[in-house]
Amino acid sequence: MKPLDVLEKIIGSREVLYTLLILAIILPILSPIGLPVTISSRTLAVYDYIQKLKLGCHVWMELNYEVAARGELEPAAIALIKQLFDKGCKIVFVSTAAYGPLVFSLLQSMAPDVFSGKKYGIDYVFLGYVSGGEAAVASLARSVTGTVSTDNYGNPVSELPLIREANKATDYDLAIIVTSATDTINYYVRQWFTPYHVPLLFVVLSVIAPSIEPFVAAGQAIGMLTGQRAAAEYEVLVGRKGLGLAAMDAQSISHLLILIFILIGNIVYWVKRSSQKSKR
Amino acid sequence: MSLAVRRHIPQLIVSIIIILMVIFYFFYIDKTVSSQMSTADKALSDWAVIITGFALIVGGVDILRYHMIQIRKQGIKQAPFSAVTISLEIIMVILALIGLYLSYVAPYLGITITTQPQFKWMYTYLYAPSDAAMYSILVFYIASASYRAFIARNPMAMLLLITAVIVMLGNTTIGGVIWPGFLSLRDWVMTVPNTAAFRPITMGAGFGVILLGLRLLVWREVSWMGRRE
Amino acid sequence: MDAWDIFGASLAAALVIWIYSFAYRDNVLYKFAEHLFVGTAAGYSIALAIDSINRVAIKSLITSPATSWHYIIPLILGATMFMKYSKKYYWVARYGIAVNVAVGAALALRTIPMANIIAQINATILPLWGSDILKIINNWLIFLITLGGLTYFLFTIFPKKISGRTSPIYGFYRALYLIGIYGMMVGFGALFANTIMTRVGFVISIYLIYLQPYYIATIIATILAAIAILIPILIRRRGK
Repeated sequence: MKPLDVLEKIIGSREVLYTLLILAIILPILSPIGLPVTISSRTLAVYDYIQKLKLGCHVWMELNYEVAARGELEPAAIALIKQLFDKGCKIVFVSTAAYGPLVFSLLQSMAPDVFSGKKYGIDYVFLGYVSGGEAAVASLARSVTGTVSTDNYGNPVSELPLIREANKATDYDLAIIVTSATDTINYYVRQWFTPYHVPLLFVVLSVIAPSIEPFVAAGQAIGMLTGQRAAAEYEVLVGRKGLGLAAMDAQSISHLLILIFILIGNIVYWVKRSSQKSKR
Repeated sequence: MSLAVRRHIPQLIVSIIIILMVIFYFFYIDKTVSSQMSTADKALSDWAVIITGFALIVGGVDILRYHMIQIRKQGIKQAPFSAVTISLEIIMVILALIGLYLSYVAPYLGITITTQPQFKWMYTYLYAPSDAAMYSILVFYIASASYRAFIARNPMAMLLLITAVIVMLGNTTIGGVIWPGFLSLRDWVMTVPNTAAFRPITMGAGFGVILLGLRLLVWREVSWMGRRE
Repeated sequence: MDAWDIFGASLAAALVIWIYSFAYRDNVLYKFAEHLFVGTAAGYSIALAIDSINRVAIKSLITSPATSWHYIIPLILGATMFMKYSKKYYWVARYGIAVNVAVGAALALRTIPMANIIAQINATILPLWGSDILKIINNWLIFLITLGGLTYFLFTIFPKKISGRTSPIYGFYRALYLIGIYGMMVGFGALFANTIMTRVGFVISIYLIYLQPYYIATIIATILAAIAILIPILIRRRGK
């Protein structure tokens, strides 16, 4: 068998590729390489913006991602929460996706140190899941107490001090949308930014980042944190090592493996094509 | 029932609500009227919030019906699996209803639907990991598709490949080791050509939604009513 | 962690492995995990929908009926959605759906011109000459690629090509069209690269959260999945 045919058979065999990919993910985690993480100017700009927020500011945080997306979004969300809590900011969490209560409880279990010393109802509130998509976002922008009567834990929202301080969109200094869906971004741009000009910050999966860039470029958001890379950078900035940093070596090696396969695929294609041309 | 009640009145409701909500948003007469409009606008949004909840329940019931039909059609081959689906769905709903009952009858316990202990156990250890695994299994298919998709057959494919390589290396720390400029280059690709490329798509999506709204307004869009007549 | 939590975490690791085993071959353990996922997902959706309705409508009606009396209307409309299962009264469900569709369309319709169109046009109108060369080049790129993309998507009726000659208008149009396509290749290249990052990130997080801490359960589940894959293969080979 020619070497080219052997090469083609190897890259064509999905079992080989899948096994190599699994090893490329697991081995750097078990034995970290420790490649340095440089901070991009865009992540730094987001960090600086939040540092300039006034002490004790009110922040709205929408958690709209499925459990699978935790790896890309949760580390950045936790790093942001840490930075905001360190500034004494107060956060209202909400979710317009059914998995909201689930991901919030998982987020809290991953970062008990970040929430320690913070009082529920005063420093943070979780409103739970509100169905309705864009209608829910529009309704919450008008009035939180007019939309939901209790939070996720059954406490009447009108009795929570934080909600009494910040009951509508214009009471918030920043709205952070942590999401895996482009629809949620559209809802907040349309229902929070366009009518009320609330500053928005997007924390999104890498895969939806290209389609969200136009909103950031048009000034409809103050910035964007994309995927595990931005999460790792933010963890470095806030000084709390988490899943973002732990994942970067594995990301590098698995990306390198895929690049090698792409290179081999191109070499096989071009060698075959030129040999077919020379035969003619 | 007559066509008016079956089709025309629902379509009329759609048109009236769209017109009213557009008026509420764009028109200002005076403070009192504006405040009343705002209240009415919010009320309509709240109605959609509540009705969406019922739509989700209908979706769950559909899955139940589908699996019951599967058991009848496919017999013993499918029965154990469909039984797993049906029983878990019913168990989760029962546990949620227990949480709801306790939230009214014994609020001092602090138990609601989402904090009911057994419900929480099921969603933490059964739903969450299987949901995560279902979404992430795509990595294998994307990896095997990538070396086929990234063949530089012509100038366009070459540009696609070069951009993908730059962004892949910029996204990872190994790119910084190979050449520190990959990060800045990736940021440039994302903020300049990528933004410009997706801007027409964003605008096109906007035009599409406007057209859909106008079609609903003039009764040209009827797919939301279903096919039966 | 108590015994139930340890059992749950081990079961979670097993479910992840059994779902991943589908990448190699369909097998009975994957089917079990898949059906378990569908059942819990459906049950969870129903539960959260009930929770939302309870907290938005029912509790409001109980605590402040004077201001929330109108919530009875969407509660009735929502309940009528179950009429879709009736052969005779299926059309009653349309009333609830009508309100939902109308509100969704109206909310989008009234804000999209500003959010998606005017804001994007504003962001494209950039200075095309000045002292900062790099900024000017970037602005030209943004302007041309946006215009090219719009030409590709929206202006789909080409000016007629006069036989034998390419008219200046046709040439200009074609140039914009090609700039649009090449610009989109850059966009899709970035999209694909980011897709790989996202999916790999999913697997890394699952490994770190569910598999590595409970490696014994992971190893046992892997062995069981391997057996579930190999047994049908061996049976088929024996049958031949």
